[in-house]
This record gives sequence, structure tokens and C-alpha cells, in this order.
Amino acid sequence: MAASTTTNNNTSKTCFVTIGATATFTALIQRVLAAPFISALKSQGYTQLVVQYGAAGKPIYESAVQQAKTAGGKALSVSGFDLDKAGLGKHMRQAKGGRAGAGEGVVVSHAGSGTILDALRLSVPIIVVPNAELLDNHQVELAEALAAQEYVVHGRLEDLPGALKDAEALRQRQREWPPANAGTQREARGLKGILDEEMGFLD
Amino acid sequence: MAITTTLLLLFIFLGLPLLAILYRITLLIDPSRNKPIRHGRRNIQEPTHLLIVLGSGGHTAEMLSMLSRAVTAPTDPLEPKKSAKLDWKDFTHRTWVVGQGDSISASRAKEFEDMAIPLSTQEDLMVGKVKRATDTGAGSYDLVEVPRAREIHQSLVSAPGSALKCMQACYELLMRYTTETREGHAGVAKQRDFPDVILCNGPATAAVMVFTSVVMRFFDVRGCSTRGKMRTVYVESWARVKKPSLSGRLLKHVVDRFLVQWPQLERGAGGRAEFRGVFV
Repeated sequence: MAASTTTNNNTSKTCFVTIGATATFTALIQRVLAAPFISALKSQGYTQLVVQYGAAGKPIYESAVQQAKTAGGKALSVSGFDLDKAGLGKHMRQAKGGRAGAGEGVVVSHAGSGTILDALRLSVPIIVVPNAELLDNHQVELAEALAAQEYVVHGRLEDLPGALKDAEALRQRQREWPPANAGTQREARGLKGILDEEMGFLD
Repeated sequence: MAITTTLLLLFIFLGLPLLAILYRITLLIDPSRNKPIRHGRRNIQEPTHLLIVLGSGGHTAEMLSMLSRAVTAPTDPLEPKKSAKLDWKDFTHRTWVVGQGDSISASRAKEFEDMAIPLSTQEDLMVGKVKRATDTGAGSYDLVEVPRAREIHQSLVSAPGSALKCMQACYELLMRYTTETREGHAGVAKQRDFPDVILCNGPATAAVMVFTSVVMRFFDVRGCSTRGKMRTVYVESWARVKKPSLSGRLLKHVVDRFLVQWPQLERGAGGRAEFRGVFV
């Protein structure tokens, strides 16, 4: 009974959106500040929306944030920043919650492997939205493969509110990272095994 | 008559040397070639040398992520040799290669060194046995900058030039520590030598480094090939699920170990790709 604080109205719950340091991802910034996503956040008890919009994303963020703030009202506060030199760890942990009555929120991210990995290690639910504008589609493959194994929610720009619902389902069965290597002998020793073999350590 | 003579001469002076060169290359890039001779993991007579190529941004992050995971892995005190924990003191010298001006990668390498050495458990395991004989201490490490093999958005015309510059820098840093070959193909005792293992992931610099080491082994520079030095380990990015990256495609038939982090990429990449679990 006491554990069900995530749905309690008195606790804070953060949605952290990150588009990464290098690329621009205009569509994601616009979608998370648009009315459908804001109302989905409110209906699921989120109290904070934090957007990392990147070096070039400032004008897009500023043109849409006022509307989002109005739509958010008192229940949902919206804030943003371009880049954080100290890394995104602080913001990820804010989304993870856990301290001072903070419930567990969600991370919405571009499909950068570093960000995904950070979220998996923190075991905070993550919605991965691949950037279709990038030529190389290996990010989509990563998102699909991880979603198939139920590590992440593969979000589509057209249906972010739906992805937010899926994230609630993911929260219930959040899997641990790194994956347990299921006892397969050849996988058990990882990088150490490889380096031992190549160094010629025979013990 | 004259034509057969010409053909014969062509074969002798061009064909045969070419065949010999090709044969030597197949020997060089055969993963079952010699490994360095070792007598025990911590032998003060036989220093070890690991070279790590860091790229920038994502590549650096992933490399440090897998190294951190390896050195912080739990040990089973009953069977320490079967655990996944990497003991950083197993490498008496580490060379970190970073792109020129990449101070972020350099400082992350330094952070890792400061973190990893105190995590060594080798001394605890050896207490009461042969501690003094096997304690190689914290060892040493270098941070070396090389010119970038390829700038982002660099034109194809100037690319070969900067690749050559990078290659020269790689050669110089691979030659930084060398010793002579002794009987039995071991190096001179207690002397630092060529890297035993070159560990890299995707950056262009890594491809240049690997090819430089192959060329050096081709000419057996200072006996590096004879001593089985510079074995190459390539880890494909975790972000590559179905198709290997450009560096991966270039290196999959050249490196001694080509590790992928998704089982479906083992077949997708071909070459020497092997899946041994996720490392990051």
C-alpha cells in the first residue's frame, strides 16, 4: 500500500526530454510541448517537464514553451535548457525520483546509445524516439531491438501520448541492466575473458 | 617465343613477389598467429602493455563504459579466475590514444585510471602466497594525442593526407617502447615493449592504428611479429544492431578479434564477428 506513491498527487513526477548534444531534433521539441502531450502528462500525474533542447533548439523551444506553460497550468511546470556541461546525470536522476517524495518519472530521448544506456543503468523508464532526419538508420534498429526485448518504449513522433502510456506498463516490469548472461559459459567473463585470451594469460 | 619469355619473366619478377606478399599478409592477419609468451599473469620479468584507442564523444563513452563495467565486476573469492572482473594492475603499462585537442577524452581516461587502480584485488588474493614476487604496483600510463584521421565533414581530397599524418603519429607511438627479441621469441626481461593488445572500438583513428600495426608486423619491425605483439581487439558499438559501422566493415577481416554486442550482428557482419555478450 505504501509503495504506491507514484500515483499520489502530492508527489513530484518528472518527465525529462533530451535531444542530445550534437544533432537538432526540432520535431521532438515541438511534439513534447504540444497540447496532446502536455495533457497526457497531466492525466498521468506528472508535475515537471524538463526539456534539453540543444544548441540550435532555443528558438523552437521559446516559440512553443509559452503555450505549453499555459496548457500545463499549476499542475505541470515546464522548464528547459540548451546543454549541460556537467552531463545529463542530474536530470536523469531527477526523472528517476526516489528522494524527498519524488515519484519515478520517465525519460524521453533521441536514440543516442549513451543516453539510452544511462537510463537503463538507472532503470528509469525511457521512451526512445529515433530521429528520422538522420541519414543513418542504425538508431532506429537499436530502438527496435531494445523495444523488442522490452527494455525501452519505441516512441513514434505521431503518437507520443500513446508512448507515455506504454512507459507506465514498462515501469511495472522494468528489466535490469546489464542483462544477466543466462549462464552461457562463453559469455560469462565478458571483456575480461577476451583480454585474457589475447594477452596470453593462461591461468 | 618472345611472348612466353616475357610472360615467364613477368611471373618471376612480379607474380612471385606478389604471391609472397599476399602469403605473408594471410599469415599476419590469421588470428591463430602467435600470442606473446607469458609465464604467469604478474611476472615482473615480463611487463605487459595495453593500448586503448579512444575516439571522441560516443566512442570514448562506450569504451570507458565497458572498461568500467569490467573493473567493477564482482569477484567470486572462491573462484577468482572465473569471474568477469578485470584487474587493471594486470597491465603494467597502459597507453591511451586520444584525438588531438580532445581534452574531454583525455580527462575521462585519467579519471578511469584513478578509479581503476585502487579497485585491484590481486594483492588481496596473493596475500600470504607470493605477494612480493607478483606485486607489480600501480604501473604507469601515457596519454598520447594523435592528429585526427578524419575531421567531421572533411572533403575526400584532403582525407588521404590527414590519414597519412595520423598513420605517422600511430607509428611513432607504437614505437615508443620496444625491446629486442631473445631466444624463444621473448622480449628482453623487465623491458617495456610494444603493446601486447590494441583495444579499440569504432573511431577512424582506430582503423588507422590497426592498419599501421599490420604494416609494422609485415616488416617485423623490431621483431614485433616474431614476438606476437600488437594483437588487435575491436569491439563494435552497442548501437550497431544489424549492420556494422564503416570502421567495422574495414576491420572485420583484419583484427584478431571482432566482437559484436548483438547476436544478430554475428551473422550480419560476417568476417570474424563473434558475440560474447553485451560489454557496455
